[in-house]
Amino acid sequence: MKRSALDGTQHTNFIYLLPGLLLYAAFVFGPIVAALGLSLTSWDGLSMPRWVGLGNYADLFSDSRFYIALRNNAELMIFYCVLPLVLGITLAACVWNLKQREQLALRTFLFLPYIMPTAVLGIIWAWLYNPAFGPFNQFLRAIGLGRFALPWLGDFNFVLPAVGIVATWYFFGFCMVIFLTGIQRIDPSLFDAAKVDGASARKTFFWITLPLLMPEIRVVLLLTVIASIKSFDLIFTMTRGGPANATLVPNIYMYQLGFELNRFGAAAAIAIVGALLTFAINYAIHRLVGSRSKGVA
Amino acid sequence: MSRSSNIPAALFLRLLLWLLAFVTITPFLLLLLTSIKSKADVLRGAFALPAYPHFENYVDAWNAGHFNIYFWNSIIVVIPVVAVSVFLGLLTGFAFAYLSFPLRRTLFAILTLGMMVPAEAFIIPLYYEMRYLGLINTYAALIIPQIAMSIPFSTIFLASAMQQLPEEVLEAAVLDGAGRFHILRKIVIPLMIPAMSTLALFLFIWTWNEFLIPFILVNDDAYRTLPLGMLFFQGRYTVNTPVLTAGAVIVIFPLILTYLVFQRRFIAGLTAGATK
Repeated sequence: MKRSALDGTQHTNFIYLLPGLLLYAAFVFGPIVAALGLSLTSWDGLSMPRWVGLGNYADLFSDSRFYIALRNNAELMIFYCVLPLVLGITLAACVWNLKQREQLALRTFLFLPYIMPTAVLGIIWAWLYNPAFGPFNQFLRAIGLGRFALPWLGDFNFVLPAVGIVATWYFFGFCMVIFLTGIQRIDPSLFDAAKVDGASARKTFFWITLPLLMPEIRVVLLLTVIASIKSFDLIFTMTRGGPANATLVPNIYMYQLGFELNRFGAAAAIAIVGALLTFAINYAIHRLVGSRSKGVA
Repeated sequence: MSRSSNIPAALFLRLLLWLLAFVTITPFLLLLLTSIKSKADVLRGAFALPAYPHFENYVDAWNAGHFNIYFWNSIIVVIPVVAVSVFLGLLTGFAFAYLSFPLRRTLFAILTLGMMVPAEAFIIPLYYEMRYLGLINTYAALIIPQIAMSIPFSTIFLASAMQQLPEEVLEAAVLDGAGRFHILRKIVIPLMIPAMSTLALFLFIWTWNEFLIPFILVNDDAYRTLPLGMLFFQGRYTVNTPVLTAGAVIVIFPLILTYLVFQRRFIAGLTAGATK
């Protein structure tokens, strides 16, 4: 059956498809499949790979460092996902009824971090946090809070929130922008009706805005969760996973195992676990947030 | 949500919002300020103003910090990646929007897989593939994988934009006896200019910011792009903060410029792409 007036015979159709698909197969899909295969072997990058079946995965799940990496990643999700979501939705609700020009200006400023390379942001924040001449501690001393001036990236207890705050700073403006467009999509008569009924601003937010923003909440959650699982650039440039594994995440561990210790099979196994985790969370968000939004609409 | 009738509270809220906006861009302001300081100025405090602006930091970063090399490398990489990705996205997008072929759903699923699986997951096989092809430490190592990685998004973005084109126009062109390449070139592409430029904008930002691909596939300073150059520069110049910050400004200045010029289109495209 023809899909459109432009449809032709199948082998001429393939001419359009082939260049893109071949390139994609050779440099993305092929390597993904190869990573899956590699994760079932033990390989040092030089000798022949040795088949070990699920050995790498078994090793991983009895490896305490891998659990530390997973736990750190889970904690980082508070900063990557929860805080930007809450901040973004609150801000969108505040900015929403400002005048067009002011709204645009605020949006422009708050969104700015999102277009920057995270690797460079990591380097900039490493400087901001520098214990000796970093602006952050200088500011704390200037306002009389010098006793809180810590070596942020060297402190075992505070390094994870210190790195996490950068992710929050990176994402919250992005979340706000998505939520703003979401609010603009909502039928204004709903807000008018609430006003006529004498609903308070808070009630309107929790009973109209929030439920109707579920599709946007889902998108924001998906993107930030994926970003937290693939977090590498920011953490690598700020702490390299240290001090003492305090900011170790799976992708940093993958890099260490693969490119520093030449244990490529084990490294590939981490990469695959990360990809599977992404799929699982993706699916869970679709089920949980998706179905609820359908129930409301 | 209703317009606040409480005037002082509303004013306080706006003040708070602007304070937050100011705090958000403070790292960038500090970056700019520090980049025009002397080393002695830096010791006087992060917030102190320099006696006069030291623009020579930029010259130092550009020359001694090799940012001239990194900057041109970024340009050399970003142009073909954006151009070829948009072109290939048009072809595959055209196929997915209008044409029938076997395994359509399977191919689409395989394509979206590439959008979900991060580069970190397949960087090891990719590294060895590039090494086997003798492409480590070449521009090709920076360009080809990034084109391949952009194909899923380009395809889906352009295919869904094409599906919104009026069918009658295309049917009329077919009735006039125009060939498909001709219709693509003369009718579809002109109508797709807005979508294509939004896509190009995204690809520009992503490619300019890419870290992992150049980090793993290139270790020769002559091929490093800006974010990578910045990392190695940081290693060499830890004590020279003014020159380091000048380097950071060189990396982010093109991004800020692009963002300010295209900001409406950028945000519209972002939300369209994200909520799809």
